Amino acid sequence: MDFRPLNDTERRQLITALRGNADSDRAILMDRRDTSFVGTADDVTDEEVISAIKSVPCHY
Amino acid sequence: MRRPSRQEEPSRTVWRSVVRTAGRWFDELRRAWPRDRKPPRPAGERGDGQRHSFLAPAAYHPLKRVTLTDEVGRTLFEEYAAHLKGDRGDEETGWLLLGLRQEDEALALATLPAGTRREAGVAHVRFSSSGQITGSRIVRQLDRRLTPLGVVHTHPGSLRHPSDGDYRGDSQWVANLRGQEGVFGIGTADAKRGNGTVFGVQPKPHVQCLGDLCLSWYSLRKGDTNYRPLSYGLTLGPDLARPLHPLWATLEAHAEQLDRVFRQQSQVTFAVAAGERGPALTVTIPLAEPGRAVRVQLEDDDVRYFLARDGDLLEAGVGEGRVDRGVYLLLAELAARC
Repeated sequence: MDFRPLNDTERRQLITALRGNADSDRAILMDRRDTSFVGTADDVTDEEVISAIKSVPCHY
Repeated sequence: MRRPSRQEEPSRTVWRSVVRTAGRWFDELRRAWPRDRKPPRPAGERGDGQRHSFLAPAAYHPLKRVTLTDEVGRTLFEEYAAHLKGDRGDEETGWLLLGLRQEDEALALATLPAGTRREAGVAHVRFSSSGQITGSRIVRQLDRRLTPLGVVHTHPGSLRHPSDGDYRGDSQWVANLRGQEGVFGIGTADAKRGNGTVFGVQPKPHVQCLGDLCLSWYSLRKGDTNYRPLSYGLTLGPDLARPLHPLWATLEAHAEQLDRVFRQQSQVTFAVAAGERGPALTVTIPLAEPGRAVRVQLEDDDVRYFLARDGDLLEAGVGEGRVDRGVYLLLAELAARC
């Protein structure tokens, strides 16, 4: 195990991931080899997808 | 053998002490120093320097490449060829692409057809969104990361570049996409004869031809003044929406009702199953009791309702063509019997 303080980027990513988990149930991913934090699942909401589909413009 | 003199004895003791202390220091230093000390990896990076493909990118960069799964590539060419031979072959047509948006690459994993209710002519196509919305819900059951990547549409002549009219709409629309950038494919039937139809060719990094059909790929990012040619690649993989294509007319006919049921009931699942005359769309709404569910089967104009009970399917005589109404009539009937 590599116990060390997080650098600024990692700390920011972890805080964002924790907020996403608390606010929107976004999963926090863990490295299976050493249990370190490796980011969040990139789920896309239905609203975002449907909004994009509804607004596809006419093509010529 | 000579015995040490009294003068030699203290210096030997000091020397042993120095060696013992140095050895202890060396041992402590060796244990404190990791054998394979490497710089810490940033979150999300694998040991080989590649980023995990399942991670949310920290930032979206301009696209360098679009990758199609082999089945998505086949769908586009096969359905384009079939369209040209069909009743509406003179009109433009198209597909919405769903897939994964990575840091600087898009991976197309599903094609949603323009729809039987599309509005199209020789010089334009406007997709029918109702089927595409329900189609996206069904496909995204498999992977919630799937997002709209862009649009493929065809041109009747040999213009292998999006038109000015396309730019006017797309330049606004890309703001709705991940990375505020879209992937745009232009289909033309103008490739040189002699390409053969057995395998595709890639005359340019952004052009893909099979037979006399060509797909030319571009990207457009918010604020761009023009489209950029986009290199494409192929990888093994499915078109996750392909099983739905034969059912698209059925999907569109019931789209609004299916969407309502999906939003009002939890854990609704869709699947494609064998029907009596071909593939059928099934909708499963689980009941509170374990192993029980209401199942609706849609095949062409037929809507049939079933009660699934511990693996058995019992057909319910609900003569209702509207799926949402039929589901709630059956749920009310079941509630009355509890």
